[in-house]
Amino acid sequence: MQTSRIKRLAGIWGCLGFLGLWANTANAGVFWLFDPKGVMADTDLYYMLVDVLTMGAIVGTTALLVIWFMWRYHKGKNRGSYHPEWSHSSFLEVIVWGVPIIAVGFLAYFAVRGTFELNPYDPTILTRVAKPAEKPVKVDVIATDWQWLFVYPQYHMAVANQLVLPEHRPVFFRLTSTAVTSGFFIPQLVGMIDVMPGMRTKNALESSHIGEYQGISSDYAGAGTSWMTFKTHIVGQEDFAGWVQKVQSSPTTMTEAQFNAFAMPYINVHHRVVYFSQVPSGLFDHVIMEVMHGKTWPVPPMMTENMVAYIQKQSAEHRD
Amino acid sequence: MLVQLPGGWNPLLGRLALDQIPYDNPILAPLFVAVVVGTILLFGLITYYRKWGYLWKEWLTTVDHKKLGVMYIIIGLVMLFRGFIDGLMIRTQQVWANGPHSSGVFGALHGYLTPFHFGQVYSAHGLIMILLAATPLLVGFMNIIVPIQIGARDMAYPYLNALGLWITAAAAVLIMISLFVGDFAHNGWFGYAPIFELQYSPGVGVDYWIWTLQLTALGTTLGGINLLVTIIKMRAPGMTWFRLPIFVWTSLSANIIALTSFPALQVALGLVAADRYLGSHFFTAGFGGNLMLYTNLFWIWGHPEVYFVILPAFGMMSEIFPTFSEKPLFGYVTMVAASFAIAGVSWMVWLHHFFTMGAGPQVNSFFSVATMLVGIPTGVKVFNWAFTMYRGRITYSAAMLWAIGALFMLLVGGMTGMMLAIPAINYMVHNSVFVIAHFHSMLLVIVYAIFGSVIFWFPKVFGFRLDEYWAKVMFWLFTAGSALVFVPMYMLGFMGMTRRLDYVFNPAWHPYLEVMEVGIAVYCLSVLAFVVLLYVSIRDRVKNRAGADAWGTARSLEWLAHSPVPFYNFAVTPHVNARDELAWRREHGMDALEPERYVDIHMPSNTGMALYIGALTFVLGFGLTWRIWWLSLLSLAAIILLMIIRSFRGDDGYIITGAELERMEKEALRNRAQADGKYVSGGRGQVAGTAIAYGRNGASMGGDPFNSSRDGI
Repeated sequence: MQTSRIKRLAGIWGCLGFLGLWANTANAGVFWLFDPKGVMADTDLYYMLVDVLTMGAIVGTTALLVIWFMWRYHKGKNRGSYHPEWSHSSFLEVIVWGVPIIAVGFLAYFAVRGTFELNPYDPTILTRVAKPAEKPVKVDVIATDWQWLFVYPQYHMAVANQLVLPEHRPVFFRLTSTAVTSGFFIPQLVGMIDVMPGMRTKNALESSHIGEYQGISSDYAGAGTSWMTFKTHIVGQEDFAGWVQKVQSSPTTMTEAQFNAFAMPYINVHHRVVYFSQVPSGLFDHVIMEVMHGKTWPVPPMMTENMVAYIQKQSAEHRD
Repeated sequence: MLVQLPGGWNPLLGRLALDQIPYDNPILAPLFVAVVVGTILLFGLITYYRKWGYLWKEWLTTVDHKKLGVMYIIIGLVMLFRGFIDGLMIRTQQVWANGPHSSGVFGALHGYLTPFHFGQVYSAHGLIMILLAATPLLVGFMNIIVPIQIGARDMAYPYLNALGLWITAAAAVLIMISLFVGDFAHNGWFGYAPIFELQYSPGVGVDYWIWTLQLTALGTTLGGINLLVTIIKMRAPGMTWFRLPIFVWTSLSANIIALTSFPALQVALGLVAADRYLGSHFFTAGFGGNLMLYTNLFWIWGHPEVYFVILPAFGMMSEIFPTFSEKPLFGYVTMVAASFAIAGVSWMVWLHHFFTMGAGPQVNSFFSVATMLVGIPTGVKVFNWAFTMYRGRITYSAAMLWAIGALFMLLVGGMTGMMLAIPAINYMVHNSVFVIAHFHSMLLVIVYAIFGSVIFWFPKVFGFRLDEYWAKVMFWLFTAGSALVFVPMYMLGFMGMTRRLDYVFNPAWHPYLEVMEVGIAVYCLSVLAFVVLLYVSIRDRVKNRAGADAWGTARSLEWLAHSPVPFYNFAVTPHVNARDELAWRREHGMDALEPERYVDIHMPSNTGMALYIGALTFVLGFGLTWRIWWLSLLSLAAIILLMIIRSFRGDDGYIITGAELERMEKEALRNRAQADGKYVSGGRGQVAGTAIAYGRNGASMGGDPFNSSRDGI
């Protein structure tokens, strides 16, 4: 996608639509959806603009038409003539059915095309159109109540609550959850995908913009959801290699038993980031199998009825 | 016990214990005191003015569709207010708990609501607004207006009608009780699997949620059956299908949806209950359960439900636009076709509520295109309303303003709906506040249509018009509030803000959250304006007395009946000659006719049975929630027993003799003459051409309204 063209369109449209508060923020960067930093988010924005411009033309015209009728046929103003019996016109019927049918037909083409291009399991926009030359990075995402564990199987390491990725390299995610359904969302890089216990979903992204992007748990997963955020860093390839070495030399390791402790309910109010240097190779599949065999991580009743007290308890247990 | 429950259980009180009463909660405890004082005051006043007998005879035991409809609407308005307060709490929490440096009180790290409470507030907000505010309000209007519009004496099953009302009331009481006894679900109004399973929601909140939903589903299904039979069987002579007012058509399509979709909800919830009470594994993540099965089942009901509430609102708009444009509705036949097209497509779109679950592109494409198809009939409707105004003579009365407001809301909601229908866009805004803003735009279409209808049909039910000035003040305040709340919400969606955040992590969003809070304050003013509107209108009710045709330009049959409509609706069943019957009669000088003779009419008797059964369903829901098995069994047995008793005893009803009817009609006509000065008895017996004014012997097409209800349910 031609990022600059999209951004120009986004800017024009945004200015037209939201002049008032737009001036307040003055900075398009606040609108994460209009400021994509990766192939996937770029394409999402492209389809949004196609849809908004098409529908905006129709809805805007209709609104103007209604306002004009309201002005012209105001009783007592004698601007338009009154036809008390007029209630049918075959010509207009064709128009009122025809316009929506044509619009829906037109948009349906883009809808289907976009669905295939952005299919999270095999986004053709990434694998066939953008075709990054570099070797892909694989990341296994395990959502717990309420943390993110990002396992890098190629590097036998894992990081909690922070995602670091190299630029120009496609990234393929496999995602699952230990307890309940959550959502994986990095607004400037890739759209949402459900993260479900006992199941595996996929997603992918690619970015050529070095920077820090906000990751969000986009689906309500219980008390700790609001704090279940993570920062995504897109770094240069050399920086990435250095970072991998840093994680691999971390003294903290993770075994399956340690994972079970890690996955206990934990509210990440302090945005804790942990590096794990040793991770068993089959951890992701192990988690899915355990859930399928009935493992749960129960949440204590009324856990956050008093949040302050709960966080104190969490700290007292030395889990921070 | 088949499942492991945390905390105590005893045979007498189940899970109920003193520590389940949140008497130390700084928000709930004062509210509880206020509710108790208010209730005592209300009961005291009723006793002081000796109104218990009146209340019992005229309201609590009534089977009159208009009074039941009024009670539905009162429940709806009260719950609308409760839901609004929940919304206010959500907005206040988010504007307060924004950024890492925001303060916290009442045990919350940020803001004033802990996650435990915040989850309950938004879950209750959603459930209440959709099932206990919008639904009762619309069912109430259908109840009142549909029988009069088709010239029927009552609903097909008057007793069933009362039963539906009291079961809905029981659901409303059950969810209100959850404020003060125990807690409510935090799994969102639609319920996330597997978060509602015992391991992740060990409290009683989810149980309250299950049984409240079950009761509303039951009440609405009963109402749906009743309306369908009424529309099909009870039309006055001459009221052929293509003479039905559009509101009746939309009610028909909406209730077909209700009757066919609510069972899916009840099954889904039944399976959730099985998981929680019997330890089954339908929707758990493990042991072969499938949590997406729940999500599918829920939305197979949930999406048609959306059209169940929007279609009657479209019908209301279709009644208001022609009246105040002084012109028939443009494209009546296509309007009917569009309503049924929407109802039909509503079955094929449910998956668009979870495009992000990872279904293949083929599946997502199908549901995407199916969803966009809804835009076609909806677009047609918008154009038809626009062309109804075209070449018309538009009066900007308060009711018309609300209808126009609904039209513009629909444009906004439709535009954003077409965005959400495309998976490529949906991936970015699904579960963001953009979705919230979208469906609030759509639900505001309903709210606008409802307030328009309150103003439009109020004189028909109560005999006097609402004050135009205050109705307009309320309209503009409400519109300003809507703009201030939902424009920033759309923008926050584009900024990536997700929904259901107890703590809003990004301080950059603060200005927008503040504007929304201001909008909420303006909404509060519009609520005040509504109270003033009611007060002023009731004070000036003599001045605002309305004739049969309260607006002078009304078109459909209900405006032929007196205002207020007597309990028997039409003294003699009218014969329908045209699509816009009243407009036709006005043209032919037949709108002021008196019948030549009055015949006896057969009316259903009042019964307390519906109230008893409704109260028992509340006890059953409460017993099941707290797992008080003896109470649940006892109330269930009592319900079945009462049903058997009712079916054996039946109801023979009573007869209003022709003479009695003539006396009542004469008096009504005298009042009517004072009201609009138009009515003189000059039209007696006058017939224009082949037209007929009244049905033979007062018989309607389906015969005596009462006969079909003889066997109770």
